[in-house]
Amino acid sequence: MNGLRDDLSATGSAVVAEGEGLRVTPPSAVALGKAVAVLRAHLLPVRVRGNGDAPVEAPAGGALLELTALDRIAAVDGPTGIARVEAGCSVSALETAARRGGATLGPLVPSVRAGSVGAWLGGPTRGERGIPGSRRETAALSVSAVLADGRLAESRAAPRSATGPDLDHLALGGSGRLCVLAAAWVRLFPAAPPAYAAWRAPDLGAAVRMVDRLCRDRLAPVRGMLQAREGEALVALSWEGPEAARLWRGRAVRALGEPLAADAGPVVRAPASSRGIEVDARWDALAAFARHPGAAEIALYGMHAGGAFAVLSLASEGIEQCAAAARGPGLRVIAPRRLREAGPSWKEMGAGAAWDRLVAALGAVERR
Amino acid sequence: MTGPLRAAGPRGRALERDLSALLGAGAASCAPADLWAMSRDCWPRALLWTKAGVAPHPPDVVVWPASTDEVVRVVRFAAERGVAVVPFGAGSGVCGGVVPVKGGIALDLKRLSGPPCIDLPGRTVDVETGMNGQRLEELLSGAGATLGHFPSSIYCSTVGGWLAARSAGQLSSRYGKIEDMVLAIEAVDGTGEILRTQDVPAAGPDLLQLLLGSEGTLAIMTKARLRCWPSPAARWMRGLRFRSVQEGMAGLRALMRSGLRPAVARLYDPLDTLLAVRSGGDAHARVPEPLRWVVEGAGGEALRLALRAPTLLNRLVESLPGASLLILGFEGDGSCASADAREEGELALRLLAPEGADDLGPAPGEKWLANRYKISYRQSPLFSAGAFADTMEVATTWDRLDALHAAVRGAVSPHAFVMAHFSHAYLEGCSIYFTFLGLAEGDTSGDPDELEEAEGRYDACWKAALSAACDAGATLSHHHGIGLHKQVFLPREHGEGMRQLRALKRAFDPRGILNPGKLLL
Repeated sequence: MNGLRDDLSATGSAVVAEGEGLRVTPPSAVALGKAVAVLRAHLLPVRVRGNGDAPVEAPAGGALLELTALDRIAAVDGPTGIARVEAGCSVSALETAARRGGATLGPLVPSVRAGSVGAWLGGPTRGERGIPGSRRETAALSVSAVLADGRLAESRAAPRSATGPDLDHLALGGSGRLCVLAAAWVRLFPAAPPAYAAWRAPDLGAAVRMVDRLCRDRLAPVRGMLQAREGEALVALSWEGPEAARLWRGRAVRALGEPLAADAGPVVRAPASSRGIEVDARWDALAAFARHPGAAEIALYGMHAGGAFAVLSLASEGIEQCAAAARGPGLRVIAPRRLREAGPSWKEMGAGAAWDRLVAALGAVERR
Repeated sequence: MTGPLRAAGPRGRALERDLSALLGAGAASCAPADLWAMSRDCWPRALLWTKAGVAPHPPDVVVWPASTDEVVRVVRFAAERGVAVVPFGAGSGVCGGVVPVKGGIALDLKRLSGPPCIDLPGRTVDVETGMNGQRLEELLSGAGATLGHFPSSIYCSTVGGWLAARSAGQLSSRYGKIEDMVLAIEAVDGTGEILRTQDVPAAGPDLLQLLLGSEGTLAIMTKARLRCWPSPAARWMRGLRFRSVQEGMAGLRALMRSGLRPAVARLYDPLDTLLAVRSGGDAHARVPEPLRWVVEGAGGEALRLALRAPTLLNRLVESLPGASLLILGFEGDGSCASADAREEGELALRLLAPEGADDLGPAPGEKWLANRYKISYRQSPLFSAGAFADTMEVATTWDRLDALHAAVRGAVSPHAFVMAHFSHAYLEGCSIYFTFLGLAEGDTSGDPDELEEAEGRYDACWKAALSAACDAGATLSHHHGIGLHKQVFLPREHGEGMRQLRALKRAFDPRGILNPGKLLL
């Protein structure tokens, strides 16, 4: 182990004993690459913290790669709408920097907001968020990823490209298994005051259907809060876009009818229930949850024509019961981590053998 | 044109016999005309081959599967024998992506074109990948729907081709590129396994996004579920003039960052502006010769004479008034379609006025809409006139866009006449669509030396253009793909990512039979 510690220290990384293994904290992407190469040479179990997975301790006899020192925000270009950031930077710090540049990441589910950029992009949402037109795309414009042999692959920062498969998707959502996300160019929206509106609905299921309808008509809000009330439900929504927010709000009013007179802003901006579960779900699945007799609140993010990210909560029961009530076709629990569902795997898509060959060809960064 | 029509060799005849036995009579052919048809796409360099009467890379046999199961059988057959399989849609690609450089089986997928299943309330359409683009749009239109995907090749391209090359349509700023529209696919990998990505929330690396754009090198896509929308009931079109292309870029960026979603947003540089308003008149009277010959579509000797001095032509462009045209369009659907489209359009006009935009009224936009596919069919007459014409679509972020434009213009100027427009705009950046017009010199018909010289000029122009684009930080392709044409530059784009690309090849096509020789795989 001492030889390993020396080799890891030589990469410039901080190395400390943790449990039965080592915690390795590289100070830069280059040092991260070198550390990954050293660990590969020693064939040790490796886990990565800050890439969508959050193991608490180093694996026994192995190493935990800790990305917290990779926390620099190299650039924020508000007019272009991009920021260069390292994977260990917290999402909240990036949002603060973006706001200073007149930009924003937009509304994100609470677990993402509380985590690191690497966890966001490498985690179960793949960094996806809603964009105008009821569509969803990843916030990662390009990524820098450390491969299993320690080399650094960097994609071009372009809004779209057609230069073969999108290789960023080996890192996005990959939880650090095939490569370690070291840094990224992240897309930013212009910061502007949102437009709010709220309506009454007969019940929570009808409330879901109202938002579903708006999304299918390309009027997707950026944030929504649906709450069961006495004998009815409240639908509170917001739109963003410096010039367009009021336009979309006006069309939503035309579609759903005259909104409530009360200011919907405080309801929409209120934090989602801390007793909720986070899901990625289709509209049908959210409507099914809404019909549960105990369903109390659905906070919506990343809405698109097919569905949304949401925080679901029951009126009087806990997280486990909420997950049990929500589970079903077209819905995947993404947080809390202990309840996270994998969803259909490559194997279920017929690509199990291809996955095994891919891991063999690339070499897995994480070894357990 | 008898040169390319050579008779099939013994390998081709044996494959035809075996594959006909496998799929039934009529499912395979090694007739010379079929082999020639599958030996190339619309890559301009391949047009030079055709003009010279050569087909350097014919397949050994052409096969027409009619189902996913038949694709599986062909792939397994080929994998057992180590025979290359090159999927073929409609041959509208412009990068040589379907040229069968290792011979083998050209897998023409046009029989995979059964009726689509349209679910307009659910905003989805399930379609087989051999479906012609225009036919699909007609069927959708009959159901009150649209895909919103209108590439200029729509009459001669297929859904599979769109997916394989990450296609973009003219209304991409509203509807997105094809990778934004696709929800799930069915595909057959190089081992004959059927892969079915799912339109439900899933974990891990996105299999769908790793297969899209793979140009037939990882899997053969057979079905797709795509997002569709209600047909627009109204359009609002406009032309706006900026004093310079830089002001136009600033306006386009402000528009996209505003949250508005124009269906059409195309900014033309000064020369492309002249071509876009080819109606002539006073604007053209101020254009000096020989530039005016090119602008006014001269052919024959006048065109060749002008193109002998591309540097001069490009300098003359710089002496033109810098006006830059923006074609802008909004769509509306539902009961208030016209009012909605107008509301967004007028908001855009108010937004763009401080950026220096002059409103030219609806005529330029409506003219563009009426003629939007015609440009694609002007290429052959230019080749006949002894010129070559080609297009390069690169993309980058807003902060690098002007420098990219200048760098490519400067690099290509000694080789070809160059113009550009900016289309496919996003919140963070935009694609630049360059058009090159160069001299193919002399008559290439049947003369190998002439062909070699023409190819040399063509390659030199492209090398300069791609080098400049790479150095300026752009992606090599926004929606045409890589094919044979751009692949030598792929390592400059992907760097160590080439190792990831090769790993994907080993994962999905371990025997290396799927479209070998493309993407450097």
